[in-house]
Amino acid sequence: MLRLYLWIYLLFLYAPIVVIGMFSFHSSASLVFPFEGWSLRWYVQIFDSETFRSSLYNSLLVASLSSLATTVLGATVALALIRMKGKVREAVATLCAAPIALPGLFLGIALLSAFAQMGLNRSLLTVTIAHTLYALPFFVATLRSRIDYFDPSLEEAARDLGASPIQAFRMVTLPILRPSLIGAAILVFALSFDELIITVFVSGNDTTLPMMVWSMMRRTVDPTINAASMVAFTLSLIVIVAAGAAFWLQQRAKTSYRTSPTGVDAHEPSDRATEERAQVVRPLQGLE
Amino acid sequence: MQLKNVHKSFGPFKALNDINLDIRQGEILTLLGPSGCGKTTLMRIIAGFEAPTSGNLLIAENDAVALPPEKRSVNMVFQRYALFPHLDVFDNVAFGLRLQGVSKAQIKEQVNAMLHLVQLDSFANRWINELSGGQCQRVALARALVNRPDVLLLDEPLAALDLKIRHHMLKELKRIHEETGTTFVYVTHDQDEAMILSDRVVLMNKGEIEQLGSPQDLYAAPESLFCARFFGDTNIIEGHVGAVNGGFADISTSMFAARGAVRRAAEGASVSLSIRPEAIRLSAATPGLAGGSHNTLAGEVQDVVFIGNRVVYQVKHGNNLFTCQQSRPVTGIEHAPGSLVQLSWPDEAVVVLTH
Repeated sequence: MLRLYLWIYLLFLYAPIVVIGMFSFHSSASLVFPFEGWSLRWYVQIFDSETFRSSLYNSLLVASLSSLATTVLGATVALALIRMKGKVREAVATLCAAPIALPGLFLGIALLSAFAQMGLNRSLLTVTIAHTLYALPFFVATLRSRIDYFDPSLEEAARDLGASPIQAFRMVTLPILRPSLIGAAILVFALSFDELIITVFVSGNDTTLPMMVWSMMRRTVDPTINAASMVAFTLSLIVIVAAGAAFWLQQRAKTSYRTSPTGVDAHEPSDRATEERAQVVRPLQGLE
Repeated sequence: MQLKNVHKSFGPFKALNDINLDIRQGEILTLLGPSGCGKTTLMRIIAGFEAPTSGNLLIAENDAVALPPEKRSVNMVFQRYALFPHLDVFDNVAFGLRLQGVSKAQIKEQVNAMLHLVQLDSFANRWINELSGGQCQRVALARALVNRPDVLLLDEPLAALDLKIRHHMLKELKRIHEETGTTFVYVTHDQDEAMILSDRVVLMNKGEIEQLGSPQDLYAAPESLFCARFFGDTNIIEGHVGAVNGGFADISTSMFAARGAVRRAAEGASVSLSIRPEAIRLSAATPGLAGGSHNTLAGEVQDVVFIGNRVVYQVKHGNNLFTCQQSRPVTGIEHAPGSLVQLSWPDEAVVVLTH
């Protein structure tokens, strides 16, 4: 029974992808079964469209810029958090990550009125700012575990060994944080690339890919929409795989700081240790 | 290295109060004390991670207070090692030399020599998380010592190791100290480590130096109640000084008449007596025979703890427990729990502590 349920569940999850994928290669304009044959015509058509190409370009541009901006801002937050202690860090980190829960609608309206008051015209710039703001909490949340692991005495050790503050950052802090920063930046790219709701509020005349697909949907249901969706899907998939690869590399590079301080010396010559026990007598403690 | 009138406050909290200390070339100096006594703060001031609120720090006669940590010829072994997880053992040890701009061939030679010194010759290419606690400790030592510091600071370096390895590492530290001749400043809260390792011990309490001396001095001649209690195990009894005669005084306590050397206490002063467990002789109580007139006490054996080469007795007199320690009698344990015993000790064993 459970096994059957699992299969249905998986079918439910992946059938849309398979169906959209299939129909994006459909030779006829029909969007329903029976399937009549394979063709690339919808891809040719979509890539012929100037709107599609420019909105794809816009999306890639906004995603790149906002992940860059988020990385710089978020990494700075992480550096500050590393230097904080215990409960304060916990509280500040939670505050930094909490806006994850803000509804996109709320953020969109808030940013729209903020930009209006600042006299900033809606453009790809406002979209980039909005996406940066939207993605920062996710960025900080992704870095949380690494921040908690980071031992501030590593920087002190570097200073102690002769590194200036900048050298300590470049030779110790940054290399240790780098894989996590790259992973978080890729996540931000994916978030920005997919974002629709906030974008609708703050974008000007330039459209992004999700906006274009959405507007196509509103006009007619055209088979090119399948092709456009597949392009967006494939790009997201590439980004996610890249993030996975970055994470895997990070694990492999042994950057996770989990040395066990109470480990047993497996390579200690055992006869010496025994000799040691016989020679050093530990005075009894706690008598008075 | 010299510290002169060093004070340090964190807000209203006085972490260090008027510390004066000379650190001698080539010695092992231990900063010993309970947690919160200021020993770690003092060490961080020497390393350059904290600045004193007032006072001077001289390294080789030069004022070093304003020097950042990277400019001091002082290196540190951190409590949790703080090894760089993104570098292997070789690169960890080479870190300081690379910053100094030492040539590649020189680095290789010096790092390998240092790894040999700490007996990690074959570990150069290991990652840090592939090492045990004891091995991490050795890497941290090598990483600091390879820079040939004037002073090596060790911040509770054995606290994270288990007992067996701790004793082994103590011996290793002594050997490495002898081979390098570097001055060691060793921070610990463990009296055993301080006793085994140090040339001199700085006993600290509440931001002040309680007593400074060799481990034997601190053990045999504590100058305060705190020192007597903290450094080794002892029996403490309150008393009043009576007649003083030739440096020795009669001291009355609620349980027995004592006699011991006094230096500062005058007649009538209230004092504490410290009597070390191993100075106390036990003999079976003979009814009718009271023994000497002073430094003796009758009691009932409450508890016997056998620790291999020695035996520790808890003897009850009234509501007070006395701890007595003997080396294991070859003929077997003499006094069973419940038996009546007579305790006695020589006048020299009584340490008089003024309040």
